[in-house]
Amino acid sequence: MSIFMASVGFGLITSAVLAIAAVGFTLQFAVTDVLNLAFAAVMTAGAFVAYWINQLGVSIWLALVVAMIACSVLSVALNLGVYAPFQRRGTSPITIVIVSLGMALIIEFGVEAIVGGINVSYTMSQGGTLEAGGLILTTVQLTIIAISLVVMAGAHALLRYTKLGKAMRATAANRSLARNCGIRTGRVITFTWALTGALCGVAGTVFAIDVGSFGPTSTDLFVVLILAAVFLGGPGHAYGAMLGAAAIGLATEVSAAYIQPDYKYVIAFVALLATLAVRPSGLLGART
Amino acid sequence: MSYLITLVVYGAVDVIACLGLSLQFGIGGVTNFGYIIFQAAGAYVAAILALPPESANGGFQRYIGGFDLPFPLPWVGAAVAGGVLALPFTFLVGRRLRGDFAAVGLLVTAVLLNLLVMNFVPLFNGDAGLASVPAPLQSAVMPVTSSSYQWEFAVGVVVLAAAVFWFIRHITESPYGRALRAMRDNDKVADSLGTNLLSLRTGMLVVGGAIAGLSGGVLVTFISVWSPPAWTYAETIVLFAAVIIGGRGNHVGAVVGAVLVPVGFEESTRLITNANPSLPPNLLPSLQWVAIGLLIAAFLWFRPAGILPERRRLIALPAPSTQPRAHAQQAPAEPDRAGVPDRAVVKVQPAPPSAPTSPPPADTATAPPDIVLEATDVSREFGGVHAVSGVSLSVTRGTLTGLIGPNGAGKSTLLALLAGTDRVSAGTIRYQGQDVTNVAAFRRARLGLVRTFQLASEFKRLTVLENLLSAAPGNRGAGFFGAAAGRRYWRDDEAAAIAKAADILRRFGLEGLANSNAGDLSGGQRRLVEIMRALMTEPRMLLLDEPMAGVHPELARRIGDLLVGLCRDGMTILMVEHELAIMDEFCDPVIVMADGSVLAQGTMAQLRDRTEVVEAYLVG
Repeated sequence: MSIFMASVGFGLITSAVLAIAAVGFTLQFAVTDVLNLAFAAVMTAGAFVAYWINQLGVSIWLALVVAMIACSVLSVALNLGVYAPFQRRGTSPITIVIVSLGMALIIEFGVEAIVGGINVSYTMSQGGTLEAGGLILTTVQLTIIAISLVVMAGAHALLRYTKLGKAMRATAANRSLARNCGIRTGRVITFTWALTGALCGVAGTVFAIDVGSFGPTSTDLFVVLILAAVFLGGPGHAYGAMLGAAAIGLATEVSAAYIQPDYKYVIAFVALLATLAVRPSGLLGART
Repeated sequence: MSYLITLVVYGAVDVIACLGLSLQFGIGGVTNFGYIIFQAAGAYVAAILALPPESANGGFQRYIGGFDLPFPLPWVGAAVAGGVLALPFTFLVGRRLRGDFAAVGLLVTAVLLNLLVMNFVPLFNGDAGLASVPAPLQSAVMPVTSSSYQWEFAVGVVVLAAAVFWFIRHITESPYGRALRAMRDNDKVADSLGTNLLSLRTGMLVVGGAIAGLSGGVLVTFISVWSPPAWTYAETIVLFAAVIIGGRGNHVGAVVGAVLVPVGFEESTRLITNANPSLPPNLLPSLQWVAIGLLIAAFLWFRPAGILPERRRLIALPAPSTQPRAHAQQAPAEPDRAGVPDRAVVKVQPAPPSAPTSPPPADTATAPPDIVLEATDVSREFGGVHAVSGVSLSVTRGTLTGLIGPNGAGKSTLLALLAGTDRVSAGTIRYQGQDVTNVAAFRRARLGLVRTFQLASEFKRLTVLENLLSAAPGNRGAGFFGAAAGRRYWRDDEAAAIAKAADILRRFGLEGLANSNAGDLSGGQRRLVEIMRALMTEPRMLLLDEPMAGVHPELARRIGDLLVGLCRDGMTILMVEHELAIMDEFCDPVIVMADGSVLAQGTMAQLRDRTEVVEAYLVG
């Protein structure tokens, strides 16, 4: 297998993990109006919940479901306990971003206080390998890609074909107008936190599976990728986030094959700043 | 003893850093989540300026240059480096980008630069950083290790911190500081009143960056090492926590915050560790971060203004000896008012603006002489929705033109396009014969084309008088260098602006509220503040968006009379209003909009006879 194809393989997996996180982040921002910088910290919490369940002898895939539920509950709690009260009071968006940074510190370092500064790995089998078209992937890697595809298809179906999805889009477009049209925006928002929190739990666990060994601060750099994917696609656009995740995932891993791997984040960083500078509404966002 | 010295120096360094952030964030409202970058950069530059060339100490570490410069050049270099480094980031803080998006960009930059510096050994020596940075002014007579040297260093740094405090207070308590606070409270409105947001924010990034750089430079020459792992993005949050807890917009609060948060946390961690040596090594630092997160959230919830809230700036109104001047505004018989040159010229024109005997002052020949504002085929699209489509209209000098139409007709959007706070999708806008279609809102405001907003838009944490003063054009102290030059440089301009503001306040009967915070006023009073503030800009044309909405009918009438008076003096006004009675009484002509287009134009009497107009209004 050539270096190029190998890096494409890594790119696909990174894109798959990234897409789950980016769609969760962007939907959260679109519907709830909170630019939640604690997202990656919640991912970490989910990864560790999965770790603790996994340590009890449970399969990691079952543990993933538990992490999903845990992050869903944690996200709803964050909103009901912190963000929603601030929003009701009319706090400015930038202040809520600062609050979310505070939440990120509490969660990330709360986890670190519990587990200590060590890195851990899941107990799991990598399964066999499959080769197709010059790509060699393990069963686990294929499973991650499959999960991601299911999540993307699910997000598409939800937004496109269900009443709830339409209510989410309406709430995102104009919250007060949606409320005046009879949409229970409060419920829609709580549902969105539950859903995006679940995505966050999935993303955290598959991220941890993918990197192999992880610690409480492992997602610090992954945030750069999430934000790059979200902003590249256009903040608030689910399809944009998918597109952004594919682009950023492939670009970082393929470039890592040719330059020093430590610098692979630079390309995501440049993409993010260039988007902010040239087209803040992103590739799929409306031009203003 | 040496521990106490270290504590004093660290405290002073934190105070300097927090003061820079207090100016940048607390006064200017620029949320720079990458603040630590500037401190780290200043520290690095101070280190390489002070270090001898690489080869001189055996080449055990790699760095750029090595200039062996004497004190105080490394410190000066640190401040310059922090300021210069801010320049590439100015693209993030213009008018186009939301403040929270810019903050995210800066946060990511801080994360990334830290990663790069730690990994890129050739340039910055990787995560080992730099060591053996020479201390300032060391000599054989007074070695660095001696306690007298250490004490003198500590005293020197405290004096420096005091000087930084004096400087930023000096900057803050000036018309420039007021412009910054106005921008912080509502940037869109500040823009519409003629404030150049990009220039103000660039100034904040550069000055804040320079102060951060200085603090880093001082630190590195004291501890003699530059260590990248100590400059993580999270350190920025500590400084933010200090400013929020101390009090945003209060520099004394920032000093208090610096002592409580960074210094207090280090101290308490040390004391707890000493008392319980058996604790796991990572536990306390982790809990420290958790506590900082909790403190930020708790303060923003329970005491958002901080321990020492921003104080109200009280300004005494001059005695009403200026009363005759106020009268002159309404009685157009006295042409000799010095303060308001434009309108004094226009005022002597006869009332009917179409009268051929009154050539308007110095207009270009491209537009008919009495047309002040002209829109041709103007459209604005929002994602497929035509909010305004193909609108052409012209406003004649000296008229109070009404703009009515059902909800969603596109009136407010049209007003925004005319004022430049929103950009047209197609069409051209000419103001006094000049094509202003692509002229930014603040420049249109400086040309005398000023708008007000439908929603409350007062600068909340400024007093009523400050709200007015913030709009006064041509104050020499409104720029950074003017403010730095000192009160003597700008006090005459300031006095003139205060006198003018006092005139306007008395005319509106609000002089009693001059020193109240605008955020504490009633809805109707806020509308008045907005109109008064617009008048402070010496406008030639006002674009008013429902100025009488939510105002007591009696007061609405007074506002109407006043607007008519202004028009008689030569001002031109275009006013969006829903109340037909007001249109009837004050506006002529009236433009009717529906579904993004102009439906009709004429006097109210003429419009009443046109069935499609009545229908549009009733059906809509």
